Amino acid sequence: MSLEQVAIGSTACVADVSGSDATSLRLLEMGLTPGVNVRVVGTAPLGGPLELELRGYRLSIRRHEAARVAIAK
Amino acid sequence: MSATPDGTASPDGSPLPAGRAGRPVVVALLGNPNTGKSTLFSALAGIPTRIGNYPGVTVEEKLGRYTHRGQSIELIDLPGTYSLVAKSPDEQVAVDVLRGRLAGVPMPDCVVVVADATNLERNLYLATQAFSLGLPTVVALTLSDVADEKGITIDAAELSRRLACPVVRVVAPARIGIDALGDAVLSVMQSPRQAPQGLDTHLAAVDARHEPAAREAIARYAWIEQLLSGVVHRQPPSTKPLGERIDDALTHRLWGTLVFTVTMLAMFSSIFWLATPLMDGISAGMDFLSGLVRGLLPEGAIRSLVVDGVLAGVGGVVIFVPQIAMLFLFVAILEGCGYLSRAAFLMDRLLCGVGLGGKSFIPLLSSFACAIPGIMAARTIENPRDRLLTILVAPLMSCSARLPVYLLLCGAFVPNVAVGFSWLRLPALVLAGMYAVGVATAALVALVLSRTIFRGPPQPFVMELPGWRWPRWPVVLERVREAVWSFLQNAGTLIVTVSIVVWALSSYPRNERIIDADVAAHRAVLTTRLAGLPAGDPDQTDVAQELATLDTDDGLAAARRGAAQRHSALGRMGRIVEPLVKPLGWDWRLGCAALASFPAREVVLGTLAVIYTLGDIDPGEEEGGTALVRRLRAATWDGTNRKVFTLPVALSIMVFFVLCAQCASTLVVIGRETNSWLWPFVTFTYMTVLAWLGAFATYQIGTWLGN
Repeated sequence: MSLEQVAIGSTACVADVSGSDATSLRLLEMGLTPGVNVRVVGTAPLGGPLELELRGYRLSIRRHEAARVAIAK
Repeated sequence: MSATPDGTASPDGSPLPAGRAGRPVVVALLGNPNTGKSTLFSALAGIPTRIGNYPGVTVEEKLGRYTHRGQSIELIDLPGTYSLVAKSPDEQVAVDVLRGRLAGVPMPDCVVVVADATNLERNLYLATQAFSLGLPTVVALTLSDVADEKGITIDAAELSRRLACPVVRVVAPARIGIDALGDAVLSVMQSPRQAPQGLDTHLAAVDARHEPAAREAIARYAWIEQLLSGVVHRQPPSTKPLGERIDDALTHRLWGTLVFTVTMLAMFSSIFWLATPLMDGISAGMDFLSGLVRGLLPEGAIRSLVVDGVLAGVGGVVIFVPQIAMLFLFVAILEGCGYLSRAAFLMDRLLCGVGLGGKSFIPLLSSFACAIPGIMAARTIENPRDRLLTILVAPLMSCSARLPVYLLLCGAFVPNVAVGFSWLRLPALVLAGMYAVGVATAALVALVLSRTIFRGPPQPFVMELPGWRWPRWPVVLERVREAVWSFLQNAGTLIVTVSIVVWALSSYPRNERIIDADVAAHRAVLTTRLAGLPAGDPDQTDVAQELATLDTDDGLAAARRGAAQRHSALGRMGRIVEPLVKPLGWDWRLGCAALASFPAREVVLGTLAVIYTLGDIDPGEEEGGTALVRRLRAATWDGTNRKVFTLPVALSIMVFFVLCAQCASTLVVIGRETNSWLWPFVTFTYMTVLAWLGAFATYQIGTWLGN
């Protein structure tokens, strides 16, 4: 399961970030590292980006980027 | 603590490292975006001593200088960055400066890592990377007041011990901790940097299947989590602080969208309407000045140069200042309260579809008022590819300068009939259509460019959404001042030059004999035409009136001005390009007016007035507009009775002006913002080609439909 599929308002724990390009590294650098808890705050209209809360701040990432973030069961 | 004025001693009296004597200590400010770094810069150094671009890139360089306890300090404000593993030009510049690899920028003696106290975990990530550089480092905890409000307490002394570097709490707007920060910088200069221990252990613990850079990132966060345990305490206040309550409203599904719409409308109408009285004031001032010069100087070449070349050029520059100031005031306020990112977040999906990103929204929206502030606002887009694409398509948004052209032509040549509903008139529909043509073309161009020239790996849209905070007014005003100043200083001189060149082309060569002959020939043509018209022909009065005005002083002067322009270099160029504009349904005079409007589109109506021998009228005013419409309606192809202006021709002119790059100021600003002359050239070429094709298709299809 990926972060993209997490219901709005619920919290999930990051298991892994797939890929080895600049985008994956940026996701890690912004704190989406294995073991961190992330709350999906909401989404932008028309299937736009997700709004996440982690490590005490809010981050926005696009859906296809969220699909790279695997969630621990 | 004391230091000798020449800076050879440190606060505790011990000598400074060798080579320091007499020269300023170079301090680099490093930090994530939105950490209050600009506020801290202003609090430390005041107004920057130098603002510009780093050589070869469009990354802003900001330097300042101040004195602390007698030691002169040179402050480098590095671009806001999340990481020192460079993935963008901004980050590359930060890395290069810190490693002393950038020509012309001194190697820093000390790094001040600016860390947002409300969000220490992520902010320390950059700090841990900075430690690896081996430079003396100080951590400045900014936004401490906001952290207090949120119930976040940080044990700074313990943090300092664990990080093995000074940690200073600052509230920059209130100047709290500013002196302490200066002291910390001078004291840390004595001792070579000791790397904090423990990263290696964490690195070893990370799963080996990750890439080295990914392993490092994971290890750094694990290290930070351990480092911060017991240092940061969160005790949410019993009542939610105002900032958080505003945040809740802004992120609310319904209210958030409503606030966004209202904010954007307010911003847009303010650059459109609030700036208008100021622009009118500038216009009136320039007119007054021109009048003054006209009275002081005798009629002739000098007066013409000063009034029509220099003053017109200066006026053409200053006129943009209200819109630039107004837009940057809005952008700086939105940026200051963290709303700029939220706007990008909300609009991202829409712009993503055409190969742009959410951050392109405000620059493109502003371009409907004027492309110049819009292109300048593209500075807020960190991603260089998105930024360039936005700059390239921004001039396609129909700016306010095109509106008079559309209004005049729609009013004069589009039949005022109802379409479907009694309230929906055809001219209004055509007007809206012109805006739609611009938007659709911009979307198409962005889509094509992003799939061809700008093709590349998908750009990450990983963006922080900062919480609500009150904007810091000195930072907001500094941003406005800087935008206006950089426009006047860099773009202004070039725009004036272009204006003078076009004036010279439309004034010279000048031969009185040819002008006299032209006026006489014109009179003869009108007389023959009048005689040939059957009684009761609607043109009869117009032609008779035009003939009559030739006998008045003003009428003759206007006719001579028109003749002079038709025989000038520009007029000759108009005749040369006639084969090019004929397929658009234009005669050479229209081609000439299009050429003359290169400095600014709005000039085209004035040029048409001169070229059709109306003299100096203001086509923007009702009387001038009516006179121009009458003259345009009566205009015929040279030597025939065939009308120049028909509906397809009017539409073809409008489509041309939707798509063309007839605005030297925009091109100059593109050159300045992209730091290259290639992009203005590309913009001009692609827009002119599109404009010609669009006008051609419009005229040909329109004529075909009409038959």
